Amino acid sequence: MTITKETEHMFKWKKLGKVFTPQEVEGRSWLKEFAQAPATLVFEDFVRVYFSCRPPADENGQYVSYSAYVDLGRADLFKVRHVGEQPILTLGGLGEFDEFGTYPVTVIRNGDEVRAYYAGWTRCESVPFNVAIGCATSGDGGKTFTKLGTGPVLNYSPDEPFVLSGPKIRRFNDVWYLWYIAGRKWKVVAGKAEPVYKIRMATSHDGIYWTKQNKDLIESRIEEDEAQASPDVYYANGKYHMFFCYRYSSHYRGKENGYRIGYASSTNLTDWVRDDTKAGIDVSEQGWDAEMISYPHVFDLDGKTYMAYLGDQVGRFGFGLAVLDGTLA
Amino acid sequence: MRWKKLGKIFDPTQHTLPNDCIQFAQSPQTLVFDDFVRIYFSTRAVDPRNGKYLSHIAFVDMKKDLCEVIRVSDKVVIPLGGLGCFDEHGIFPMNVVRHHGAIYAYTCGWNRRVSVSVDTAIGLAISQDDGLTFQRIGDGPVLAASLHEPCLVGDGFVKVIGDTFHMWYIFGTGWKKYASDAPPDRTYKIGHAVSKDGIHWDKEEARQIITDQLGPDESQALPTVIKIADRYHMFFCYRQSFDFRKGKGRGYRIGHAWSEDLCNWTRDDDNPLIEGSPGEWDADMQCYPNVFECDGKVYLLYNGNEFGRYGFGLAELQT
Repeated sequence: MTITKETEHMFKWKKLGKVFTPQEVEGRSWLKEFAQAPATLVFEDFVRVYFSCRPPADENGQYVSYSAYVDLGRADLFKVRHVGEQPILTLGGLGEFDEFGTYPVTVIRNGDEVRAYYAGWTRCESVPFNVAIGCATSGDGGKTFTKLGTGPVLNYSPDEPFVLSGPKIRRFNDVWYLWYIAGRKWKVVAGKAEPVYKIRMATSHDGIYWTKQNKDLIESRIEEDEAQASPDVYYANGKYHMFFCYRYSSHYRGKENGYRIGYASSTNLTDWVRDDTKAGIDVSEQGWDAEMISYPHVFDLDGKTYMAYLGDQVGRFGFGLAVLDGTLA
Repeated sequence: MRWKKLGKIFDPTQHTLPNDCIQFAQSPQTLVFDDFVRIYFSTRAVDPRNGKYLSHIAFVDMKKDLCEVIRVSDKVVIPLGGLGCFDEHGIFPMNVVRHHGAIYAYTCGWNRRVSVSVDTAIGLAISQDDGLTFQRIGDGPVLAASLHEPCLVGDGFVKVIGDTFHMWYIFGTGWKKYASDAPPDRTYKIGHAVSKDGIHWDKEEARQIITDQLGPDESQALPTVIKIADRYHMFFCYRQSFDFRKGKGRGYRIGHAWSEDLCNWTRDDDNPLIEGSPGEWDADMQCYPNVFECDGKVYLLYNGNEFGRYGFGLAELQT
């Protein structure tokens, strides 16, 4: 038997199943379906997982999106201990960038506070929406957040004309890094405008004033208009590892063209080598993640490395977990 | 100082305009050449998809007497932005500055929203053909909403002073419904940003540099700055934020402020004051000023009634 180079180096993720189902939560009118873009904050005896959810669509079929959290038992991540009573952020006021959604959210500890970066959604006339990135802080351990201002901290620029979304905040060597996506074009497919976006990065010394790198980090693989999202960066064994998701630009709401999880690595945070064959996680034969997998988030807990991710319909029915067999090298 | 009014000098309905535009010559902005003055303005076409307006840039070349029209642009000066871009539904205004042999145009791009009518941001386009056509440096803006400037960043006016680009612009402070049966109205104030290259800007972030005359619901727009003797003078227009289209005494008037350090501005609307002439083209409203120097004289271009539907006029400064 020949072992190919790819399989030899491929990571081995063992799927543990779906861990949180929004439809099972009661008494929260704003949390009826979706638990998207999981992001973790580890506490002494629980893991707080932030996610984005939605009340039912309005009479025009349009959604607003909130962000909230669920606390999972640290000893048993499949034990849901608590679901936040309220969204962690209010929607923006009339005409503000985040009037119709705060999704997704990413969190980081900064001294005694917890800081959140989130994508704010507004509705447009010629295209369905536009998105920019805001910032908020929490003084109560991440239960509630106060926005730093009524506008975004990262907004459109000559090379990033619209749809700045999917933030992931990290700090390495005293520098703040924000990975995010920026819209490249709106592609009209069957009369509908569909966004194409690519993974980008900005750096900052205070997390508020950002310098954009103005560069696509991850080369497109499946097609020129491949859309890339959820750039989740994790440091291990002398290397930076990025798990992300990607999809085709059209007809992506089903299995064939829907989201899959990709992988890239870097030694300097700027230059990335994509190698999806190493990702080591794909759709299942059957079950909750048989059509698509997306929005990976990798985190360490008690000597193990986990990945939280979304399954079918981009997390409409919740998120699941996988655990790494070995380490990321 | 006082203004000597010279009357309306350009009526768009008397000319053929590019892009099938029919009315409006708003926010005139000048580029002075050796033997003529090019005046850019925003004019309007009707969007065939929904009957709403699209603002396009055109220009008129005038002799230096500022009476005689040489020609009106017959081609597209700058196309509107693409699908979903900040300037998809209009460019209004467009400020032009000579820099290193090229002409930089700071565009105020308009895009329509759902809960409010519009948002704006400021783009940069550059001309290498003396201002006949402009090419964007990118599909997105150089100045847009930020942490404490939540909406409606627009109306950039740029001057290079020493080795620094200065931009005076407006930022929205928010939208408000003043009456249950009225659509939301916006309020905006004048701010300031600086840059070394004209592309990357540092805003003073929501510092309102011109005090309010009408209280917090005063909207201030279209700053234009000129140096006369040792002082910088800014002209702008201001109005009530609500019921300003038809409400008597609530519409745009032209304000003035001066500064000696480009930082602190003293508002002084009365010196020099420009007022509408009863029964004339500017009787109800005076707005969208542009000051410029030509052959040693200081002029003010501005729009009159109905936000410039029927053109713009001129005044000359008497010192």
